[in-house]
Amino acid sequence: MSECVLCGIVESTVPSKKIYEDDSIIAVLDFMGALPGHCFVFPKRHYTIMEQVSDEEIGKVFEVANKISSALFETMEVQGTNIFIANGVAAGQQAPHFICNVIPRLEADGINLQWNTKQLSEEEMSTVELKIKEQIRDVVSFRAKGKPEVAEKKAVRISEEAGEENYLIRQTRRRP
Amino acid sequence: MEKKLTPEQIAELKEKIKNMSPEELKEFQKKQCIFCQIVEGRVSAKKVYEDEVSIAILDINPANPGHILLMPREHYTILPQVPESEINHLAAVAKKLSNAVLRALDAKGTNIIVANGVAAGQKAQHMMIHIIPRKEKDSVAFSIPQKEHSMEELDSVQKRLAQKFGTVAEERQVPKPKEVEAEIKEEKPGKVDLDEISSLFSGRKK
Repeated sequence: MSECVLCGIVESTVPSKKIYEDDSIIAVLDFMGALPGHCFVFPKRHYTIMEQVSDEEIGKVFEVANKISSALFETMEVQGTNIFIANGVAAGQQAPHFICNVIPRLEADGINLQWNTKQLSEEEMSTVELKIKEQIRDVVSFRAKGKPEVAEKKAVRISEEAGEENYLIRQTRRRP
Repeated sequence: MEKKLTPEQIAELKEKIKNMSPEELKEFQKKQCIFCQIVEGRVSAKKVYEDEVSIAILDINPANPGHILLMPREHYTILPQVPESEINHLAAVAKKLSNAVLRALDAKGTNIIVANGVAAGQKAQHMMIHIIPRKEKDSVAFSIPQKEHSMEELDSVQKRLAQKFGTVAEERQVPKPKEVEAEIKEEKPGKVDLDEISSLFSGRKK
């Protein structure tokens, strides 16, 4: 058996309940989620943290996570969903294999993904801004390649599924 | 600042909103949305990144210094409304921004969070991805309690979710889920060697 439990799931040496699988990505149910329907989406290749994952794979991970998120709204009557990544031990990462959590949410479900806000001075904010911008120049290389395709610009699935009960519309009406 | 509305005006507005088509509603929301105004440059913000599809700004009320809000230029309320091509793009940008804050602020990790819906902690009405730099023992404390669920319940959830992908996932014999969970817990966090990973970063400037 592979040392990594998540690689074990990929190799089917560890039992799992699969929701989705393709050549590079797999999604399984968390047996111990706060609510049933909590899923892990992860690349089949073993990466420890997000920075190692290819652009294509990370895009796919989010795409699958979003589909699961939609499915949770559509079939499980959840009131919300979180997509949550703990990247690094300091961020709460537990397994040494990069995973993305899709978390079904209900009011008062006992999950805490809130934070207390900090107040930074204008000077501190500017320093942080400069430091990050400097690194982004090095890190973001695909910008020159131009526009990613934004074919379905309308993306108004809302209008196709119009109806009072549709969660997409409920979300839109949430805070007029 | 907004003018105070009389109760009649509020009722009228509510009625108007109720009768709007989804497209009109989106247009209406866009006008009210502070993040759309930031996108359009009508409200100032500390922009750290932008491209044709997305922009990233510093959160003025951060969980930690360097907390970034990455959002599509287009107004969407929740992620399920965002087209796939934009989701792919946002994910790749989020990864790069995470990489940048790790280096820039000597962070030891990042949390990437999307909240869909008020119950999930969503506060802004413009869909966004939070990128929160983390350090050991900072003041951020997320918790996700664990619960046991019956196999029947998990089976039924699996079927319902897998349907979204048009394939009912393969049935598997899973007699002892608790043991599996125990194995996962035994994986010590210490195995994530950030020093090793940051050395990978330094050799990877493009």
